[in-house]
Amino acid sequence: MALFPSWWARRGPMQRREARAGLLFVLPWVLSLLLLTAYPVLATFYMSFTDYNVVQPPTWVGLHNYRTMLTADPAFWTSVRNTAVYTLLAVPLGLVGSLGLALLLNLSVRGLGVYRTLVYLPVLAPPVASTIIFMGMFAPDGGLINAALQQVGLPALGWLQDPTWSKPVLVILSLWGLGAGALIFLAGLQEIPQALLDAAAIDGAGPWQRFRYITLPLLTPVILFNLVIAVIGSFHVFTPALIIGGTTGKPLESTLMFMVHIYRNAFRYFAMGYASALAVVLFVAVLVLTFAIFWSARAWVYEARG
Amino acid sequence: MAACGTSTPPGVGEPVTVVFWTPGGGGDFCARFDTIAKDFRKSYPTIHIGPTQCGAGDQEFTEVLLARIAAGNPPDATILWTSPAALAARGSLQPLDDLMQAAQYAQAENWPPAVLASCRFQGKTYGLPVTAGSCGLWYNLEMFEQRGIPADRDDFPKTWDELRRLSKEFTLWKGDRLEIAGFIPWHTAEDLPIWSALNGSQLYDAANRRYTLDAEPNVAMMTYAMEWLEQEYKGDFAKVMRSGNWEGHEIEGRQPVTMDQRQAMVLTYSWNISTPAYTQPMLRWDVARFPVGPGGNQAVAGYWPNWLVIPKGTRHVVQAFTWLDYLSGVGVKEWFRDFPDLPANRQVPRDLLPVALVTAKGEAFARDIMSFFREQLDAATPMWDSPVQDFATDQIKRALEQMLYKVAKPRDALAEAQKACQGALDKVFKTGA
Repeated sequence: MALFPSWWARRGPMQRREARAGLLFVLPWVLSLLLLTAYPVLATFYMSFTDYNVVQPPTWVGLHNYRTMLTADPAFWTSVRNTAVYTLLAVPLGLVGSLGLALLLNLSVRGLGVYRTLVYLPVLAPPVASTIIFMGMFAPDGGLINAALQQVGLPALGWLQDPTWSKPVLVILSLWGLGAGALIFLAGLQEIPQALLDAAAIDGAGPWQRFRYITLPLLTPVILFNLVIAVIGSFHVFTPALIIGGTTGKPLESTLMFMVHIYRNAFRYFAMGYASALAVVLFVAVLVLTFAIFWSARAWVYEARG
Repeated sequence: MAACGTSTPPGVGEPVTVVFWTPGGGGDFCARFDTIAKDFRKSYPTIHIGPTQCGAGDQEFTEVLLARIAAGNPPDATILWTSPAALAARGSLQPLDDLMQAAQYAQAENWPPAVLASCRFQGKTYGLPVTAGSCGLWYNLEMFEQRGIPADRDDFPKTWDELRRLSKEFTLWKGDRLEIAGFIPWHTAEDLPIWSALNGSQLYDAANRRYTLDAEPNVAMMTYAMEWLEQEYKGDFAKVMRSGNWEGHEIEGRQPVTMDQRQAMVLTYSWNISTPAYTQPMLRWDVARFPVGPGGNQAVAGYWPNWLVIPKGTRHVVQAFTWLDYLSGVGVKEWFRDFPDLPANRQVPRDLLPVALVTAKGEAFARDIMSFFREQLDAATPMWDSPVQDFATDQIKRALEQMLYKVAKPRDALAEAQKACQGALDKVFKTGA
């Protein structure tokens, strides 16, 4: 408080007027941050220590929800495992796939605008609609994928009815949104100075060497961004998992993702307190992982100096 | 009509608008209520039923309903597709006993006791089971006749052993594909209470507030089903499910194989019989009572209601109940014409027939089938009466999957589900929430 008056006092009338105007402009954003983000986050944190069914007032239970999570809820560990496997598969595949698409979209070919539009279009499809389409494609009886497999003499698979294949199908479904990452990679690729690539070519560097020693290092800040977004997104996978596996994560809980576990506890089992505890754990896990990625970035992300 | 809360009796005082929701519904289901509401207004001019809210858009219905109850602005009345007992246990619904006493149609004695039990929690009634589709075993007459098997309803198997022997007459595999199925033994969580009751047991003992999932008769019931699957269906439930939709109704866009004459017998509910799968001109079928298990001695049936409830915090309790009472005794007749959910109230005439079935199969057939389903409703076993219904359903589904995919034996899978369900139940009765 002592700082504020002296900072304010040192400013002339014009500067104070500008500061007031600036504060007024950011006020709506600040209010929405407090009401729509900060308050729900703090409320969730408080609810995680209560027994709360939404309708009746919460009852304080201390660490009971966290103890239950770790010792008396097998579905907690199942959903953690499923989400981890999904992340480990979907994130690398998504990054490699979107980078590959971006490299293709960075070529000088006729009709490039059309290709870029087509690559991005699936991103605009509503997740429910795209999930239902995929379910039809991967239907074990009469689905397009099994029909194609059988055409080339391969056996039909159970896909979403087989616990071995249900998660891979979810991962494949996640690749539907490659266009979003590809667009960001494309922007990064176009920032790379052509002169560097030309000079390397003149010095005898082949395409792979130019990609490995020039393009990839200069692209690392964009890779970092896409990696963080992809990891956060994969931890939050919900709509496709819920539509495909329902609230039980069928078959055999193989599609029970952490967000689905939170959702069913909150709105199907009326255990909002426990669901809040799960949400807090998810928040902390994503926070720790994000910090770890940023910390590791010192070792592999190129930063231009001077 | 008894006056409750702060609402004035209908027909007296200023006009009131009652907000009415449904969880959704295909075709004209929701619009049908607007038609019923217009007729209702003629009898109750001061009670206006607002346009029916059909579902909750992209959001899940129960989620939205709970949020509105918590916020203090719920609809005045709503249909539920989930057990009222669960919501009642959380203090989300208005008790209706006082209103039911003075009702025209919705008095307690006008409902089948087993069906009304699904609306009761700790001695109070929190909903009206306006419709309760009952079920039976559907069978394909032509497939029976082709194999020289007597197809009269009274000749249908009376025991599980007889059903199992009959099923083998039909089942046919071509490599790894199940071409034709006789009867696939019980594998859905919602129907399991029926099979448990047929074997002389139950899954949930409401009177003693106990789950009995791992009782010996239930373990025996599932062991029987697993042995059946092993012997007739190669023990590979995944291969069975890959070969088609064997559930007797459309699922995720897949039509049931009954339409292609690939299934001889399947459990079906009364509302299915007006769907294209059952009204095809060339498909000849009938329905029969459930056979009894080794541990049972009574051919019970099951049901699946639409429930009418009044959320806590409603502003017009009496007027909302007047509307629900009307729906129970009068409005349901209009509802039934195109959507044959069986009216559960005993004051509703028992000669109502679904239009689609009459058109497709003739009035005599429709009358016989509806009479059968009404008898089945009278023989219904208690279901849907647990305050942790949805949690228990998920646990039972999990246990069934473990058994069907051979991850666990019936005893172990049921024991795990029993522990989880009883724990959740004890918590509800201990904390009252």
